[in-house]
Amino acid sequence: MPKGSHLGDLEELVLLAVRRLGEEADGGRVREELTELAGRTVSVSTIYVTLMRLEEKGYARSWKGEPTATRGGKAKRLYALTPEGLEALEQVRAVRERMWEGAGARTAHG
Amino acid sequence: MAESRPGPAASDAGGPPRLALALLRRRLPDEVAEAIEGDLVDAHARALAEGRPRVVADALFWREVLTLRAGALRRAARRLEAVRPTTERNRPDRAANRDPDFWSKLPMHPNDFRYAIRRLLRSPGFTAVAVLSLALGIGANTAMFSIVNAVLIRDLPVTDRHELVEVYSSDSDGFQYATSSHPDYLDLREGNDVFRNVVATRTTIARIDLDGRPRVAFGELISWDYFQTLGIEMELGRSFVAEEDATPGTHPVVILGHRTWTQDFGADPDIVGSDVWLNGRPYTVVGVAPKAYTGSMPVLVTGFFTPLMMTDVLMSGGQLERRGSRSMFMKARLLPGVSIEQANASLSAFSAGLEEAYPETNERRLMSAVPSGKVSLNPAVDRILTPVAGLLLAVVGVVLLIACANLASFLLARAEDRRKEIAVRLALGAGRKRLVSQLLIETTLLALMGGVAGLVLAQWTVDLLMALQPPLPVPVDVEISLDRTVLLFTAGVSMLAGVAFGLVPALQATNPDVAPTLKSEATGSGVPRRFNLRGGLVVTQVAFSFVLLIGAGLFVRSLQKAQAIDPGFDTGPGALAWPMPELAGYETPEDVEAFYDVFEQRLLENPKVTHVALADRLPLGVGVQTNGYLLPGVPSETPDGDHDIDNANVSHGYFEAMGVEIVSGRAFARDDLDAERMVIVSQAFVDRYYPGEDLVGRSIQTAGGDDLRIVGIAANTKVRTLGESPRPYVYHLQGQVMFFGMQVVVKGQGTSEELVAITRATLDEVEPDMVLFEEIKTMNEHLALLLFPPRMAALLLSVFGALALLLAGIGVYGVVSYAVAKRTRELGIRMSLGASAGDVIRMAIGGGMRLVIVGGVVGIVLAAGVTWVASDYLFGISSTDVVTFATIPLLLTGVALFAAWVPARRASRVDPVRALRSE
Repeated sequence: MPKGSHLGDLEELVLLAVRRLGEEADGGRVREELTELAGRTVSVSTIYVTLMRLEEKGYARSWKGEPTATRGGKAKRLYALTPEGLEALEQVRAVRERMWEGAGARTAHG
Repeated sequence: MAESRPGPAASDAGGPPRLALALLRRRLPDEVAEAIEGDLVDAHARALAEGRPRVVADALFWREVLTLRAGALRRAARRLEAVRPTTERNRPDRAANRDPDFWSKLPMHPNDFRYAIRRLLRSPGFTAVAVLSLALGIGANTAMFSIVNAVLIRDLPVTDRHELVEVYSSDSDGFQYATSSHPDYLDLREGNDVFRNVVATRTTIARIDLDGRPRVAFGELISWDYFQTLGIEMELGRSFVAEEDATPGTHPVVILGHRTWTQDFGADPDIVGSDVWLNGRPYTVVGVAPKAYTGSMPVLVTGFFTPLMMTDVLMSGGQLERRGSRSMFMKARLLPGVSIEQANASLSAFSAGLEEAYPETNERRLMSAVPSGKVSLNPAVDRILTPVAGLLLAVVGVVLLIACANLASFLLARAEDRRKEIAVRLALGAGRKRLVSQLLIETTLLALMGGVAGLVLAQWTVDLLMALQPPLPVPVDVEISLDRTVLLFTAGVSMLAGVAFGLVPALQATNPDVAPTLKSEATGSGVPRRFNLRGGLVVTQVAFSFVLLIGAGLFVRSLQKAQAIDPGFDTGPGALAWPMPELAGYETPEDVEAFYDVFEQRLLENPKVTHVALADRLPLGVGVQTNGYLLPGVPSETPDGDHDIDNANVSHGYFEAMGVEIVSGRAFARDDLDAERMVIVSQAFVDRYYPGEDLVGRSIQTAGGDDLRIVGIAANTKVRTLGESPRPYVYHLQGQVMFFGMQVVVKGQGTSEELVAITRATLDEVEPDMVLFEEIKTMNEHLALLLFPPRMAALLLSVFGALALLLAGIGVYGVVSYAVAKRTRELGIRMSLGASAGDVIRMAIGGGMRLVIVGGVVGIVLAAGVTWVASDYLFGISSTDVVTFATIPLLLTGVALFAAWVPARRASRVDPVRALRSE
């Protein structure tokens, strides 16, 4: 299976959101998390396209949840990180930290 | 599309606009249709719940539907589907996968197993070869180990084994670990102060009558508290009680061995209390031994146990009282706090006391004790067998090593294919441990599969071996099974193998020094550094194969020589029968003699039969029979002053029938039976004790002082083994028939099979109820016994050698074909520049053959050293036999050449243009 070695910016945020949400990571909630914490408003399509791409790369896995009444009897699709996904996140973080090292004092926002 | 069942909150009135819903469903790929629809419907419901007006909620819904990027969704869904089918993703998968943090801390993940399995399934050829190689190697090891386990290691189901000791008496030769006599045993039992208990056992055979067909069974006569002392519980019924072993012959009771109970009595649960007929007398069954205890003799399975006091009834009389008749094995349990040294000191003193009280029978007979845990068969024999067992295990160990080398080699190749991917992952900081563990999981899986397959193979091999029983006359049941110890051993070996051949490639492939790998992307010529390791593996394989094959060659040649040795008697067509009249109800010596007379007469009446002879022991037969003789003028160093010499009781027609020449004096004559006691001695006897003298007419004495007149000197025959130097032998004229019966040799015209048939028919006429020690056999079958060990050695080594050859061949093939694949571009260039197919082949083979030659040289040197160790077991050839050392290398080189030629030839047929384009 193709393992991409590059984690896009949005992909990274989505993965982080999935991780934060723990057991309750479905498309809708991820979208909300992004809006709340990252200030990014993303369309439903984009969220799901990103999630599917992440799953294709092996960084996330999904499974069918329970159907609920409020959803008109439709089941959710729940997501979780795979170890590769976690590794990818850590790699990106490591890269960023390496780049920050020696890049000067933190700014006011840091 | 199915309409969803509307819940209480989403009635038609409260749900999203139907038209928008329909449009949504048409546009979405099924993959996320449900999730997205659910999300939007949920959002709509929530909007309503928050108090937004209907119209606004609907508008929002419409907006979402219209702005769906259906195309992107469909594309993403398609790509995902290709990699991970929906059915798989929808499987309920609760497991600990919920928490990625837990798993990321371990260098392992359940997913790794699934991926490993999938990778293995995707290359079925490699997986099959790998599992097969491992199965062969592991299977051979398991089979060999179970044999060694059955013979040497044996887990006896006794309690507190550390307290048990074997007690031996020394014999007249000074051999320390021999058997003891019944009176000595009784005295020790009563009069010792170091043992809680002393028990004894002796072996016997008896005729057992089953539904009218008599069979000879192997049994033991034991002390009444034998099982209790060992701590063994009966499966059925009870063990013996004291009164059953108090007076001779009064209590005919028996305990059945488990296998006898199952096979001959159908595991009858009501067997206790019924009668079993041994030697024509009824014995009441009081119990059945447990399955785990097969008797006190290793490998042999005891069929029945009776109290010691039945010895004189079951066997020829007088054994119980004779202090000088030593056939018992004694075991004892140490008293708490008593050490083995203390026990031995006590036994020394005890033996001295016996020596004083009974000087004729107990002079220089010393008792000693050895912890039972340290004894497999007998301390003296163990010393020889254990190294042999070690050698055999080493041989199969080598085979396994070769298999592992093969696999390591293949895995290195596969790892090389992934090296780009691995290098990149390493550069990005992936944990090396994690990568190594992923690779190891693959190899461990292979090892496990190989282990399981190996177990199956081992079971088949053991079954086969047990079917090919050695041609022993003793009615044995050989019990070799795959028990828990063996299974543990196999599992251990498999794991070791998995790590052994998996670790090195894994470490190699994930070597952090990856820069050269990344840079070598463009050249595509393979990294020479890597090749050395695989090359080294091939050299090792070839070297070990050499050692095995040369060993096999030596043993095969040795076998040929053994078969050509002249045993000193006529090995032409003949039949051998071994009747046991005493077991068939012939009670008096006169009856027995009469039987043999009639049998002999009737045989000679047949026109095809020319000679009939009797002997209680045949040359090259099983068992050793020696007696003490006093030789005037020849001093001896043994305690009794006599010489232990092999001997036999034979009828007067023996020498003619067996074709043994009388070089001086005369053979026995028919009327010699009533004359003085006379003997014939072998030439070796003369050469050893009275060199150059003429012994005809002189006398020697039995150990008891009776005179024996020498009437003739016979040519030498082999006595015990084919490889022995000439052995002194004494022939007595047939006297009183011993318990074991006389063997009948029938010689004549026609084939052995015809003579066997004639003998069988005649016996049926004379005494249809006669009990035979073993089936009537041909002379060749008799000789087969002696040839059994060298045959087995040659067979085993040849099989393992061929195995090794096969594996090494696969190894060479693999290396060459891989190297060729790597050099495809280069070879393509050469061919387009004008190199011929032949040139290409030669270039491709060159590398591989260089390895083979190096391996061969190493192998020959190793072989010369190793076989020197085995030179004792070789007949008539030296351990550096030229023929073997010349032909084997040729054979191996031929196979290697072929293994290298096949992929090379394939390379030469490739279209150069395609080769140039490929990477």
